Amino acid sequence: MNTHEQTTQDTPILELQNVDVTRSGDTVIENANFTIAKGDYVGLVGPNGGGKTTLILALLNFLPRVKGTIKLFNTNIDKFQAWQKVAYISQTATSFDSKFPLTVRELVALGRIKKGNIARRYTSEDWEAVDDSINFMGLTQEAHKRIGQLSGGQKQRVFVAKALARNPEIIFLDEPIVGVDAATQEKFYKKLSDLNTKRKTTILLVTHDLTSVFCRMSKVLCVNKQVEIAEITSGLDPNTLLKKAYGEHFHFVFHRHECHGVFNNDTH
Amino acid sequence: MTPINILNLLGYGFFQTALLGGVIAAAACAAVGLFLILKKEAMIGDGISHTAFGGIALGLLLGINPLLTALAVSVLSVLGISYMRRKNLAPSDSAIAVMLALGFSLGLIIISMANGFNVELFSYLFGSILTIDQADLLLVSLLGIIVILFLGFFRRELLSIVFDEDDSRVMGIPTNTLSLAFDLLVATTIVLSIKVIGTVLVVALLVLPGLSALQLNLSFRKTILTAVAFSITSTVLGILFSAASDITTSGLIVFTAVLLFLLTIAYKKLE
Repeated sequence: MNTHEQTTQDTPILELQNVDVTRSGDTVIENANFTIAKGDYVGLVGPNGGGKTTLILALLNFLPRVKGTIKLFNTNIDKFQAWQKVAYISQTATSFDSKFPLTVRELVALGRIKKGNIARRYTSEDWEAVDDSINFMGLTQEAHKRIGQLSGGQKQRVFVAKALARNPEIIFLDEPIVGVDAATQEKFYKKLSDLNTKRKTTILLVTHDLTSVFCRMSKVLCVNKQVEIAEITSGLDPNTLLKKAYGEHFHFVFHRHECHGVFNNDTH
Repeated sequence: MTPINILNLLGYGFFQTALLGGVIAAAACAAVGLFLILKKEAMIGDGISHTAFGGIALGLLLGINPLLTALAVSVLSVLGISYMRRKNLAPSDSAIAVMLALGFSLGLIIISMANGFNVELFSYLFGSILTIDQADLLLVSLLGIIVILFLGFFRRELLSIVFDEDDSRVMGIPTNTLSLAFDLLVATTIVLSIKVIGTVLVVALLVLPGLSALQLNLSFRKTILTAVAFSITSTVLGILFSAASDITTSGLIVFTAVLLFLLTIAYKKLE
């Protein structure tokens, strides 16, 4: 049931060569080499403290690199200007002050701000994109609610809607910690799959949900100081890969044929 | 005083000047203050207003318009706070405390050296909107227009920074520049409010209207408009009652603002 293999094209969007990332003097990512192509849906997994968030921040050029090159859309990240193609949702995005005076529509509209478009009025085109994103994420009923009134699952989705409002080509999503139940989480992943297949948006998602990664996504990035990348195919044994990051004692029970049962809504 | 007397009062030039100055300062304070509250940096308002006191003393000593020296000193203190943050010399609140202490002690030293402008100083500490002259009104209006135009143009970007600074940076918003510009705007707002409410109580006009509006759980647009409306209401009522009663204007403005705050809390409880 992997539909991503057909949509994946070979245009590289993100390329890393021999990248080392340090934080407060410690090497957190060592010699990372990988390429992500247009339309990829990448799960970023690894143990806590293994450097997943650090890697994302480095890809956004927030952290100094000591070594190596990162290219976004074929441009060295130090010279990269087209940030409007990139959207980022941080791990803490959903932990805002619940009394913050913003409605869903107002928050999503903030996503329309772009470099070169600072201090301008919103046009009808902006509002169309805003309402379209809200609709895509299934939040139309909530459009005029304050974001503090949303449920955990809705909070996750509203930040994706905000990202979508920019029509990004790639979304970096450091999975927000909101403590939602499994069914809600599953609905969220389903929405992201839709986004990836219907809009061809490249997604890089930090997650702990390994089943979702191996059932839904096209590539897996396994991070624990070292970075391993693998294309998810029926021939891939998840454990061979995961043991490199999680240790020899780690075992992930996974049967590919069960994906269809778990994700049987996908075909509708 | 009867309503008719208040209407008579409105016919006087000095009174119209006072109301106009008051409304401009009230609007600027409420709008800027709402962002400060959301940034959880209301104390920068208190810090800068104390620093401005040093600037006022300096102006009185040198015989320059004290609002101008207050503006210069406040701007310097904002730059100082921003420098200390950027160079990691002190966290935000400590940097504010350092500047507050520096500005205020400077003011005290100048006063004790000059030993003569107590009455005038008093009017800057506690405001004296009913005696504002045309030159000061012009200055207040000019600064007020700058503040309101800036917020009009950059409110979304500022809101985005206040809500999520990292994401704003990814989106291409010049976060450092805008944050500094905003702090300078805070300094400007405080200085333009000195004549209306004085350095001691200006923080009340920055914080209370926004806080009251936030109780009502509105959208951002309605929250900021409500804050401005609350602020103007308390300022106009304060000026009217003050003119009618000879009680201090700034005291009445702040008292009205506190009453409005209590009313919004009561309204929320009843809802």
